[in-house]
Amino acid sequence: MKNYIGAPLLSALKEAFPAAEYDSEAAQPAVYIPAAELTALLIFLRDDARFGFARLENLTSADYKTYFEMVYHLFAWGPNVWITVKVKLDHDAPVVPSVTGVFPGAEFEEREVYDLMGIEFSGHPDLRRILLAEDFTGHPLRKDYKQAAPPRVPRLRREGGRVYAAD
Amino acid sequence: MPQTETYILNMGPQHPSTHGVLRVNLELDGEKILRATPMMGYLHRGIEKLLESRTYIQGVPYTDRLDYVSSMNNNFGYCRAVEELAGIEVPARAEYIRVIMAELNRIASHQVFIGSLANDLGASTGMLYTFRDREEILDLFDLVCGARMTFHYIRVGGVARNLPPEFAEKCRKFLDRVPEFTEEYANLLMGNEIFQRRLKGVSRLTPEQALAHNMTGPNIRATGIPFDLRKVDGYSVYPQFAFEVPVGENGDNWDRFRVRFREITESARIVRQALEGLPEGPVMAKFPKMLKPPKGEVFSRTEGTRGELGFYIVSDGTAKPYRVHIRRPSFINMQALDDMCRGYLIGDSVVAFSAIDPLMGEVDC
Repeated sequence: MKNYIGAPLLSALKEAFPAAEYDSEAAQPAVYIPAAELTALLIFLRDDARFGFARLENLTSADYKTYFEMVYHLFAWGPNVWITVKVKLDHDAPVVPSVTGVFPGAEFEEREVYDLMGIEFSGHPDLRRILLAEDFTGHPLRKDYKQAAPPRVPRLRREGGRVYAAD
Repeated sequence: MPQTETYILNMGPQHPSTHGVLRVNLELDGEKILRATPMMGYLHRGIEKLLESRTYIQGVPYTDRLDYVSSMNNNFGYCRAVEELAGIEVPARAEYIRVIMAELNRIASHQVFIGSLANDLGASTGMLYTFRDREEILDLFDLVCGARMTFHYIRVGGVARNLPPEFAEKCRKFLDRVPEFTEEYANLLMGNEIFQRRLKGVSRLTPEQALAHNMTGPNIRATGIPFDLRKVDGYSVYPQFAFEVPVGENGDNWDRFRVRFREITESARIVRQALEGLPEGPVMAKFPKMLKPPKGEVFSRTEGTRGELGFYIVSDGTAKPYRVHIRRPSFINMQALDDMCRGYLIGDSVVAFSAIDPLMGEVDC
């Protein structure tokens, strides 16, 4: 990310959304926002003339063992400026509002996060697993995910035309 | 009044037009498509999870297997992300070699597109012509890295080894052939009435629809939006080369074909300029063998052959990445499939998959 959003615009954002938090010391601070205000913030960033973040380039999540983090990378084409928006989620029941109403192109990426990380998106039009089978249990990208042992197939022993179980 | 019902037809996963293993659930009214739902995951290998248990440098060959017809571009994207995270400065010669490889691979990938599009339309001969010419690029890659697929040539910090002395001459010889074979494709395909009528005005997308689906690459450029990261971000040494970004007008399949067709010539222009200006010097940066980037995260993107290829990497200061997410362009472009099929006939759905040019290794990751 070459050009990150500058400090004056970040403080303007803070004025409009007092609940938003960022580390003013960092070079490229991510903006943390409570889940309830996420869609309002994204609409503001997209539609306000000072910001103009009309492209959601990337949507993903990370598991930090005690909490989940949703990560949204937004890009303003023209001024070529970036901003990262993050939402911290409870590890036991992670739910976040879907941003498909603001950026319809986020549909598959949210389904992917739901599938692999197990985060629920409220208001998503078609929330189903996308890569794994429908009857799969668990979410592989979580840090506490344990791969199930492969099914045990008994080995066979042939002796004198008869077949025995080897062990 | 007789009551009619809609009919569900599964295209794939073992249909030759699905370019791998994609299943598309088509809801039909007679032969008209009411809804197309892509069902993917048949090639899911969990590369994001695998990368978490490998070191940064061991991760490079896994990216070869994402979009396996343009592996160089994937290596390039991943290595740029790791370098940005670890603060590695790449030598100028290595940057030039990377651009040469990425653009040659773009030509090869677009040749696969043209060939398979022709094949899906029933013109099997088209595939033979494009694959014949793609061989020459694969021979060049064979010369520099010894592999014809899954190259693992672009490495973190530079490239694996210097170019062999005969490379420049052989590459120029290939570039001289580019106008010849593009003209041949044009004569073979573009004047054909069946080819035109299957593509023109079919699966049309407006620029607004393309933006709403977050499409990137040739698919968005076909609608007239010049979104090319080589120009927008100007990463690596691309700003030093003169090239144009071909765009379409109508956003139909014909424009998707035309944009990629013209990109072959533009990529060849870039390769020629890079060969001219190729500086001398080392091809690998100096950095510790056990690479431990500082704590932090990065989102870095490049223009892959199919669109914006982004890598989001979180480092916790150890030798292995804490989290890797890959923004795969084919995966996100697939969202437009429904809009591209709705209202058209079953036969047009085959052309629609082909025109998006998805690669299932990348979609399923």
